[in-house]
Amino acid sequence: MSIEDIFSVESVCLIGASREEGKVGNTILKNLKRSFKGEIILVHPVADEIEGIRCYKTVESIPSPVDLGVVSLPSEKTLEAVESLAIKGCKFCIPVAGGFGELGEKGKNMETRMKEISLKYGMRIIGPNTVGVIIPRTGLNTSLTTDEKSRFPTDGPIGFVSQSGALGLLTMDEFTDLGVGFSSFFSLGNEIDIDQTDVISTLGKDDKTRSIALYIEKITRIEEFLQECRKTAMKKGIVAIKGGQTESGSRATSLHTGSLLRTSFSLKGIFRQNGIIQARDEVELIDFASALASGKPVKGKRVAVVSSAGGVGVIATDALEVQGFNVNRVSDMLARRIKPEISAIGSPFNPIDMTAEATDSQYENVINELDRSGEFDSIIAFVLFQTFGVTEDIIGFLKEFNRSGATPLVVGVVGGEYTREVLRKLNGNGIPAFPSIPRSIAALSTLKERGDFLRRFEHDSGP
Amino acid sequence: MTVVPELEFKEILEKENFRMPKRFIINDPSEYNGKFPVALKVSSERITHKTEEGAVVTDIKTEEGLLDTFEVMREKFPGETIYAEEMAKKGVEVIIGLIKDLTFGKLILLGVGGFYSELIRDVTFKRVPIDRYDAEDMIEELRFNRLFGGYRGMKVSKEVLIDVLLKISTFSNGREFSQIDFNPVFLYEDSYLIIDAKLVV
Repeated sequence: MSIEDIFSVESVCLIGASREEGKVGNTILKNLKRSFKGEIILVHPVADEIEGIRCYKTVESIPSPVDLGVVSLPSEKTLEAVESLAIKGCKFCIPVAGGFGELGEKGKNMETRMKEISLKYGMRIIGPNTVGVIIPRTGLNTSLTTDEKSRFPTDGPIGFVSQSGALGLLTMDEFTDLGVGFSSFFSLGNEIDIDQTDVISTLGKDDKTRSIALYIEKITRIEEFLQECRKTAMKKGIVAIKGGQTESGSRATSLHTGSLLRTSFSLKGIFRQNGIIQARDEVELIDFASALASGKPVKGKRVAVVSSAGGVGVIATDALEVQGFNVNRVSDMLARRIKPEISAIGSPFNPIDMTAEATDSQYENVINELDRSGEFDSIIAFVLFQTFGVTEDIIGFLKEFNRSGATPLVVGVVGGEYTREVLRKLNGNGIPAFPSIPRSIAALSTLKERGDFLRRFEHDSGP
Repeated sequence: MTVVPELEFKEILEKENFRMPKRFIINDPSEYNGKFPVALKVSSERITHKTEEGAVVTDIKTEEGLLDTFEVMREKFPGETIYAEEMAKKGVEVIIGLIKDLTFGKLILLGVGGFYSELIRDVTFKRVPIDRYDAEDMIEELRFNRLFGGYRGMKVSKEVLIDVLLKISTFSNGREFSQIDFNPVFLYEDSYLIIDAKLVV
């Protein structure tokens, strides 16, 4: 069974639906009801209907085919339900409950049995012990949080795979609020069948997914995992955060290499070797994934800094230089082209300071001149909406430039409520935009790292 | 876990054409016919940290000094092999290591080396085998990578370091080890020398 089919699930059967507010079986049902575009089928031993949806007594009595079965029952009752769904011919099954392998021998045995069922019937399993899957394009949402307290992702370019379900949901709540969209969210749980490597491969083939974010606690098939990442990274960017980095299997030893492995091991080198960009926290994880989804790979160190606030340009320049970028002075010829476009008291060199007199069209003209000059490998534009002459109208240009300009662009904004509102629109328009100077620069570094990785495949026949 | 005596390991490396200072097995120090200054080292399967245990004495400048040092060492480490090694000209120091990690498999380490390597902890790990791009990347990943642009008159070539990394990566292929230290490795403008090498199987 191909895992890509998860993106086109048309019918979901929920076993363990509940009327009772606050119960898991009730939350999942409400989430499905709110957004799922396909058919919802319930199985319940006594109820005739729940939340207005008809219940069947058993899985066998459902007259139509079922694509996905969701089991929201205690662990000891889960196995039987999983088997009935497999016999029914479901393509996928999500057993939600915990209480399996993570609890010991008995749970492990149940997992082994579940795995056997999966193999025998060809039904793919996500879980157990998972907060489920969210696929905004079909409205499939089997997660355990309610919409009163958090926002569910809207359709977008980031595929998010998390070994911690809760951390994944919290992070998406935060970034959905910033207008970042997700192609899918997978909480993998105990990974008895579908694991991280499978999902990376699936997301690699999914056209709607333009970058992949991974929250990793444990890598199960290290060889396959790294190979799959390397393969997928040729097509789209991958960002990962790995908890417990230092857990590497180091042993008692007296040599320096072992001692340094124990004290100073970082996955960064191994990640970079395989096209994975390392994030240090959940904000970097999604910022970087967002940059990779909407920005272009940066192929060199020369960066032009554009802003309407001298201080922003100066601080950004310092930080960029520390990160290894060159904020080199523009050529005299380019300075002569930029000069008439900006305020007489501004600076046409780099950082380019358009001063508080900046307007939408000044930003547009300056960015176009920089692009045409070919003097820079990237442009970082701090579009500061507090500036009198800068309006939301600039979004149209930024969107078009990000699509068709030759020079990769990152947009930085700084500010409160109004700016955040605009940031949502920028993100919604597929513009790589970030809400602070350091976050914008980190995003640019990510695009540079992506460019560095892709460079190794560019010319096999060197000079 | 067994420590392979240093001399034995260096002979393996010699066969693989790694560059090291000239060594002489010393039975009678008066027969030493290498250059001065010279270092005396004990090659033993019991000793891994030679400096801490006094199993290495460096910078011996005269024949007399060699005789005296040898006598002290002979008494302190009876039955162990003692060898002399010509002192190399100081280069930019790095540590290169190989380790078999239970989670990530065989890894190669590159770090800023020398006496302070475990204090500075400026290191990076990659899985072997590595290619030229990975080797360049390892250098790039070190915080102190400016070192390889030369420092205080010590000239060094990145190309040399890249070649050593690749050679060590190739060396690791199909070989059994738990850990290997090449520490320090001296880098020069057009060459390198492995000063110390330890193998734990």
